[in-house]
Amino acid sequence: MLHYDFMQRAFFAGGIIAMIASALGVYLMLRRQALMADMLSHVSLAGVAAGALMKGSPPLTGFAVAVIGAIVVEYVRRSYKTYSEVSIAIIMIGGLSTAVVLMSMNSGINRSFSSYLFGSVVAVRQTELILIAAVAIVGALFFYLFRKPLYLMTFDEETAKANGVPVHLVSLLFSIVTGMIVAAAMPIVGVLLVSSLIVLPAALAIRLAPSFNAALLLAMLIGVVGVFGGLSASYGMSTPPGGTIALTLLVMLVSGMTIRKAVAKINKLRNKKNADSRLAKQTEDIGALRQEKPMLH
Amino acid sequence: MQLVMMNNVVFGYGDSPCLEDVNIEIRSGEFVAVTGPNGASKTTLLKLILGLLEPWSGEVARARKRADGSTLVAGYVPQQIASFNSGFPSKVSEFVLSGTYGRGSWLRRTNQEDLRLVEESLRQVGMWEHRNRKIGELSGGQKQRICLARALAQQPNLLALDEPSTGMDTQSRTEMYERLSEMVKRKGLTVVMVTHELPDAEPYLDRIIRLERKEAMGWKCCTTTSCRGHFSPAGLSR
Repeated sequence: MLHYDFMQRAFFAGGIIAMIASALGVYLMLRRQALMADMLSHVSLAGVAAGALMKGSPPLTGFAVAVIGAIVVEYVRRSYKTYSEVSIAIIMIGGLSTAVVLMSMNSGINRSFSSYLFGSVVAVRQTELILIAAVAIVGALFFYLFRKPLYLMTFDEETAKANGVPVHLVSLLFSIVTGMIVAAAMPIVGVLLVSSLIVLPAALAIRLAPSFNAALLLAMLIGVVGVFGGLSASYGMSTPPGGTIALTLLVMLVSGMTIRKAVAKINKLRNKKNADSRLAKQTEDIGALRQEKPMLH
Repeated sequence: MQLVMMNNVVFGYGDSPCLEDVNIEIRSGEFVAVTGPNGASKTTLLKLILGLLEPWSGEVARARKRADGSTLVAGYVPQQIASFNSGFPSKVSEFVLSGTYGRGSWLRRTNQEDLRLVEESLRQVGMWEHRNRKIGELSGGQKQRICLARALAQQPNLLALDEPSTGMDTQSRTEMYERLSEMVKRKGLTVVMVTHELPDAEPYLDRIIRLERKEAMGWKCCTTTSCRGHFSPAGLSR
């Protein structure tokens, strides 16, 4: 399958975006913003619709609108500190309703929209490939350079602020990077499933990893394996790549969690067995001592 | 040396003020407790001291440099912070190491001094043996202790603690107060601690800031009491 140019591009783009999106997912999940990716992908749909309506470049307008949406959500989030999910709902409603209205104004747009909704490997053209590579470089640099303030902020924003971290600025930059990654991931898995690429590897990695850095690396590994597995299965079974990748990641998550639970149960049983045998030995020793005592006298 | 000076500070949430006519000062090298009934805005006062909140009116002056010219470092342990992050994928040592992130540039690599500070801080709170455990596996009291260790790893000049003894048994609590008191005496650390456990802490304190309700006006104000007599109450409160 790799002798096809479009599959080579899909694997290359998928591998890069899987790594950066999975790392982003760890931060989003721990900041309780797991739905942000879903929201931004819906918002960027409005950009795609606007781009098509204005005869511009839908991928680029979708990208721009996702970044603007990320900035807006950051400001709305500050207004709803306690209920940050409210900000996500507000922006998602705004984005999706705009997309629906714009789509209704352009009757010829509906057919090409399915590739944005569900993803398509053939949708990964040279423009998308350059965009994905550029976003991956910016994202990787951001996560590396800001790893310390991001760790502090992810644990608790107030403590980070007391420690001198410019929380508002870093949070805004984080939102912009999130918008960029979401927009870049759209051609592979589509608007409806972009959050699967971000959330599912992170959800498994957070449960399995012994440390924060290990969680980031493990999420990246799970993301790459899921995307490569999903793309291969999609090619083999002629199924939509977005859905197949999401299902592969879901199977990995369920399997990983089941194995983890099984291992924990086995360890628990083993510990119980060891404790029981220790207790039995102690009882035996006490019994033996009691029998020996009269003989000593 | 004065670290924080609050003059006629008013602060509130929504339309009504919850703190009014606050006049206090925090000096270098003292162990201060902030106490009062539930809803008395103790945490709010602590956040105003740290600069996490801006007052509606009045002045909060914070020292930026120490007497020797070095930058003043503030450590903060919020109320029950650890219990909200039980699923956080971090080892105890990794978590405490984050306390050293504020030392120098963010791009700086972890060095031997950072690792020494982590060990020292964890030993100070009696958690060195648990350094390789995940923070989610710890008990409530142990989580509070590693949060304190992280703040200590910052090598703060001002340590602000919000109910740090939550989840700790009496012995652990006493040990913590003893250690803090020792650091105040030996290293000149300043501790401002919100607490409900005043009887346990009182022997170690220099001063108590009580938040009391002004019945007639429905406001709350600060009064201070000298515990050890190190500072003159008249000089601390209007």
